[in-house]
Amino acid sequence: MKKSSFTNFFLGLPSFVWLVVFYAFPILIVLLLAFRPPDSNGGIGTGWTLQTLRELRNPSYPAIIWRTFWQGLVSTAVCIAVAVPISYQLSRTSSQKLRNTILLLIIVPFWTNFLIRIYAWRIFLHPEGAFKHLLVLIGVIPESTGLLYNQWAVLTVMIYTYIPFAVLPIYAISEKFDFSLMEAAKDLGASSFYAFRKIYLPGISKGIWTAVMVVLIPAFGAYLIPDLVGGSTSELIGDKIAQRVFVDRNLPHASALSALLMLGVFVPLILVSCLRKFQLKNQKKAEFMK
Amino acid sequence: MKKRCNRHSRLPVAITLLTLLFLYLPLVMVAIASFNASKYGGVWTGFSLKWYKALFKSREIWNALTNTLFIAFISTFFSTLLGTLSALALYRSKNRFKAIYHALIYTPLVVPDILMGISMLLLFVTTFSACGTWFQSVFGIELELGMTTIIIAHITFCMSYVAMVVLGRLQEFDHSLVEAAYDLGASGLYTFFHVTLPVILPGVIAGALFAFTLSIDDFVITFFVKGAGDTTLPIYIQSTMRHGSPAILNALSVIFLILTFILVFTTQKLLSNKTETHK
Amino acid sequence: MKHLLASCCAVVLAAFSLILCSCGKEKETLHIYNWGNYMSDDVIAKFEKENDCKIVLDLFDSNESMYAKLKAGAGGYDLVVPSSYTAFMMNEQNMLEHLDHSKIPNVDQYFDKKYSSLSSDKEMAYTVPYFVSFTGIGYNAAKVQDFKPTWKMFERSDLKGRTTLLNDPREVIGCALRAIGIEDVNSTDQAQIDKAVAQAKIWKTQIAKFGVDDAVAALASGEFYLVQNYSGDVLQAAMENPDVRFVIPEEGSTVTFDNFAIMKDSAHKDLAYKFINFIYRPEICAENMNVIQYVTPHKTAVDLVDDELKNNPAFTIPEADFARCVPLRDMGEKNTVFNKAWDRIREE
Repeated sequence: MKKSSFTNFFLGLPSFVWLVVFYAFPILIVLLLAFRPPDSNGGIGTGWTLQTLRELRNPSYPAIIWRTFWQGLVSTAVCIAVAVPISYQLSRTSSQKLRNTILLLIIVPFWTNFLIRIYAWRIFLHPEGAFKHLLVLIGVIPESTGLLYNQWAVLTVMIYTYIPFAVLPIYAISEKFDFSLMEAAKDLGASSFYAFRKIYLPGISKGIWTAVMVVLIPAFGAYLIPDLVGGSTSELIGDKIAQRVFVDRNLPHASALSALLMLGVFVPLILVSCLRKFQLKNQKKAEFMK
Repeated sequence: MKKRCNRHSRLPVAITLLTLLFLYLPLVMVAIASFNASKYGGVWTGFSLKWYKALFKSREIWNALTNTLFIAFISTFFSTLLGTLSALALYRSKNRFKAIYHALIYTPLVVPDILMGISMLLLFVTTFSACGTWFQSVFGIELELGMTTIIIAHITFCMSYVAMVVLGRLQEFDHSLVEAAYDLGASGLYTFFHVTLPVILPGVIAGALFAFTLSIDDFVITFFVKGAGDTTLPIYIQSTMRHGSPAILNALSVIFLILTFILVFTTQKLLSNKTETHK
Repeated sequence: MKHLLASCCAVVLAAFSLILCSCGKEKETLHIYNWGNYMSDDVIAKFEKENDCKIVLDLFDSNESMYAKLKAGAGGYDLVVPSSYTAFMMNEQNMLEHLDHSKIPNVDQYFDKKYSSLSSDKEMAYTVPYFVSFTGIGYNAAKVQDFKPTWKMFERSDLKGRTTLLNDPREVIGCALRAIGIEDVNSTDQAQIDKAVAQAKIWKTQIAKFGVDDAVAALASGEFYLVQNYSGDVLQAAMENPDVRFVIPEEGSTVTFDNFAIMKDSAHKDLAYKFINFIYRPEICAENMNVIQYVTPHKTAVDLVDDELKNNPAFTIPEADFARCVPLRDMGEKNTVFNKAWDRIREE
């Protein structure tokens, strides 16, 4: 046994050291820099200060934080709402070949370059493009409406980019789901939808939670999408951080904002994992009671 | 085989089809636009293959492509190695230390790209300014942002994905096999190479593929830690999107799509020929 | 295990030898950090052929992002192309090489001194002017009805969603200051800045986005009708779309030199000098201008450019328009005033 933990130590050591040096330590630097004053030339001043943290009370931030928050939530909700029926459909498709083809079709956009995916939307929603002309022709929108450069475009592209991220984890669980349970419920007189809600959804909850995390977190940190398809009022926190680094040359402020974003990422993460634990405990208890 | 029930609703089918339409419509438009002769797109000015010709002639693209592949191969190799080792360690360890280690492996998965980029840039810059001159006087190498920093960054964010995928595979695997091998008198190393490794190999391959994709796809982190002239394909795409002719990007996107189709298709064939794996 | 170790080592060694090989074989390389669409590919190719070297271009789209990247430690660039106010700041930071004019005889021979007033480095101690860049309005004459050369165009409601401003604090605030009748585009007077912010916020309600280079491509493709942008970039779009025009608004605007500057830590200074000197050769300079459509402050090359371009008032800016343009300057400590104002412009 002793020998085993010894080998373990050496197995884990390289990655542990690597992550401490190149991941944990840098994140710590980010947090510390928030307490240093900036100098006007883009460097980092000497001494320590709470000024930067106070500057986070910038009146423009609440709106940006709120937008980041709701766009993240909405895009996650839509992705999940779409991914669940797709996974359901996929795992109920009996033909292995058809199933693989659909899966392939969903994965391909996920493997193509991220920027190209965003770029495709700029072509698609182009004001002189075919899609816009079609919409005008059938009278959905007036000629003057722009499809690009607003927060709806940002939201659409976010959903577009993250859908495959949501489908994969849910499908991975759904595939192993025992559908005979649902058939049994239906045989006992439950409606299809009731069976779906009460049996299928709890059965794939692990996949749904993973999908929520995998979509929500990048959505919170998104900065290229609003930069490329967003308008003058669709900035997210990510854009602000980029601006602090690349325009204002105020690294401490960027650090403080990053710390804020990190908090925003870790709090839901911890919340979700606690919730999961609680749920599992309850489940076990319920089983025990039976 | 489960018996399929005809009673279930058509809604999931409809959603699946609509989603596929949603996923592909913009890409189809790009494919059409790639044959438009107009430099900045918009109005159709005639059919042309000139953007494909320009694409194959462009020196920058080939340069960016070799850089991307070079970075991707090296970082895939190291992140797969480190990630697999850490998955093994995580799987076997049982002490209190495990929680910290676990957090260390898993949190990079959820840290937004931009944060990761900034933090690494800060690390490199602080280190370079702190011991750059010392390093130069001792080793004669000037520390600066470049391919090495990109590779380090890529290894860091790919490693956790590999660990996650391999660990998933390990958790499905029947540990009594290892016990049996020990009972039969096999050494630890022998057991690893003849029992554990073959079992987790599909996971390792899937993890490596994942790492490779992440590496060739990354823009944000690379942008932060790159040095002069280190143009990777995503960097090139971004800069062309901003400064150059977008028309050439249409052609590039189409080529990219076709290549991805081939790549995904073959890997799926390969993987399904072996055992079924996810991710 | 041995097997694994051996193969690991082999891969690592192979990788490193690949890096080393590629370094050893390569020709001398000049790294230029430049604005997008700012140098003719043919001119670059000619220089490479003549000097048996390689030029690697990295692109940026604002002075701020270029400076932030360099300041953050991105080394390895030999030649950079900052605007005058940024070059001034970089020089203060001791980032730029002090130029040895004996290595760039063409510059001393051909530089047109009438442009000297635009630069804060009149002696060309650390910069050599590359292009004069005027900020103005680019518009699509086929789409914009009864166009008038004034910043007020950005308030026109029929153009809502089809206009852009530069994603650049100094340019937007500078032009907003001019639009409300304040001469000094470098004003840090809080009352004036407040007024400029209010003006810019009115524009903001109308525009599609803050953009730089992509706005010009979009102007040519008919996506945007009216953009605040740089003269030459708009002219490049005009080459593709004949309806595109450029004007300097009657309220006046900003102007700046974009300059060559050699980085202090450059490893290829001689090649960088050669390059600057090469660009100042009259026929090369003219060839470059024909493609990039900006004016180089060069005494004779301007006469060599194509007639059509030469007679375009957006290229050869008339004296009267020129007089209304004020160069942007670095304001040192007070730069934060612009950043704060920019925040207020961007907020809802």
